[in-house]
Amino acid sequence: MIEVLSPGFLSIIVDRGRQGHGHIGVPSSRELDRHASAIARYLVDIPEDAALLEVMGNDLRLRVLRDMSFAVTGAKVKATLDDEPLRPWAAVRAKEGSILRVAEVLEGLRYYIAFSGIIDIEPVMGSSTTNLECNFGGFHGRPLMKGDMVALRDIREPAGLQTVPETMIPSMREPHLVRVIAGPEADNFVPRSVRFLANRKETVLFNATSRLNRTGIRLEGEPLRFRDEAERSIISEGLLPGTIQVPPDGYPIITLAERTIGGYARLATVADADMDMLAQIRPRDRVVLSSIDINEAERLWRAGRDALSFYCKKQ
Amino acid sequence: MDIERFGEQGIRIIFGQAIDDATHESVRRFFLYTSSLRIPGITEIIPSFRSCLISYDRERVGFEDLSELLGEMEDDWREMSLPDVRRMEIPVRYGGDYGPDMDFVCSYSGLSPEDVVEIHAGATYRVYALGFMPGFPYLGPLDRRIYVPRQETPVLKVPQGSVGIAQLQTGIYPFESPAGWRVIGRTMVRLFDHLNPPFSLLNFGDIVRFVRA
Repeated sequence: MIEVLSPGFLSIIVDRGRQGHGHIGVPSSRELDRHASAIARYLVDIPEDAALLEVMGNDLRLRVLRDMSFAVTGAKVKATLDDEPLRPWAAVRAKEGSILRVAEVLEGLRYYIAFSGIIDIEPVMGSSTTNLECNFGGFHGRPLMKGDMVALRDIREPAGLQTVPETMIPSMREPHLVRVIAGPEADNFVPRSVRFLANRKETVLFNATSRLNRTGIRLEGEPLRFRDEAERSIISEGLLPGTIQVPPDGYPIITLAERTIGGYARLATVADADMDMLAQIRPRDRVVLSSIDINEAERLWRAGRDALSFYCKKQ
Repeated sequence: MDIERFGEQGIRIIFGQAIDDATHESVRRFFLYTSSLRIPGITEIIPSFRSCLISYDRERVGFEDLSELLGEMEDDWREMSLPDVRRMEIPVRYGGDYGPDMDFVCSYSGLSPEDVVEIHAGATYRVYALGFMPGFPYLGPLDRRIYVPRQETPVLKVPQGSVGIAQLQTGIYPFESPAGWRVIGRTMVRLFDHLNPPFSLLNFGDIVRFVRA
């Protein structure tokens, strides 16, 4: 059992997402930083589809009501266990009654906490993840609040290695370089305005705005210009996480995990290898877009996957 | 039918360029057929006005194999016999507190509230897509006489069950949510129940009629 003493700014239960219900409009609502989540699970030796906490903000405090291990990954944080500094991206043993505190987020936005047990909640539509807009899944469909008790079952000591090499810990520092693949409506824009899509050496700089949540990240900067004859919106169609949509005002929105359909021009799609970084973009961070082709995107994804499976092999 | 790659794990199957019955019929056939096959590696099939978006798990299937397979199936889904379209009636209370934008719709269209209701409830609509939120139906086509533009700035909160119109579409908000459409009424019918399969009251391709409650 975990007792929430202070939930930080926003703490929710997440997993790899809700799948197979896109045709009735149900989004995945998955963990946004899959890399950090996968490593957290590996460190405490729980299954790949187990749920964990996704947290934003300072002053998270949890009381651990049983002996167990946990791991904090994702955003760079200042964390303590009973006031002793603890090592992030590593499994940490906690005695019954001890208090885990994340005092401050130093870099990045979202951190993840996995425990060496299974969070005991009823899955909704095949997943334990939280759909915040519709209030289902996770902990009664809502963020954790002070006083909540999160039940854990099958608690055990994690087997295997309990750290990962430094190279597996990504930098959260801005500017964030986000590589993209041109999307279906890339031609709706004046070529000069989207030069970075035609020429791989070009980049374009935006800033993340404060309009940023699990649904998407709105960017600001020089607005992208539509061709005069191009439609300003499209007939609504399916979206994937990472689709960059451009509303008529020209300011791009990077779609994250809470929408299945959209009606704005799809400029590009973020390369899978850079998707996890999107979880760590803060308001006002600089975001640099550059383009790659789909084969290179696949190579990058494969390299990342191979590194993860090399270092995070089950014993 | 065009097959296009979309991102690293997506395929768009495009059946037409406009919103029309023939295109919708193809989308519906393709969607029902491919969903029923449960093809390994396919994780989502999202049908909409003129296309299906398929997402897949590349650890299990590659783009080339999957697009070839989908291409080869065309004769099968074009010839399959389809289940009858379901017809659903949704009771609506129009205007007043239930339809805060009725005045706007009247002044934009030059019609009386009575006319707007008559037109809105007098037609049948197809579910061209479900999305934006779980169970939210994109219904069309809406009669041109009650065409209205979207809200320039979305309203922060409309109640669950709000019935909205925008451009040539109408829809129902299954949850309390922000809304960009003009709300003319409300239904007490629950559109989405996350605890009880099949979860969504409406299916892609259903025919919907609004009735005055």
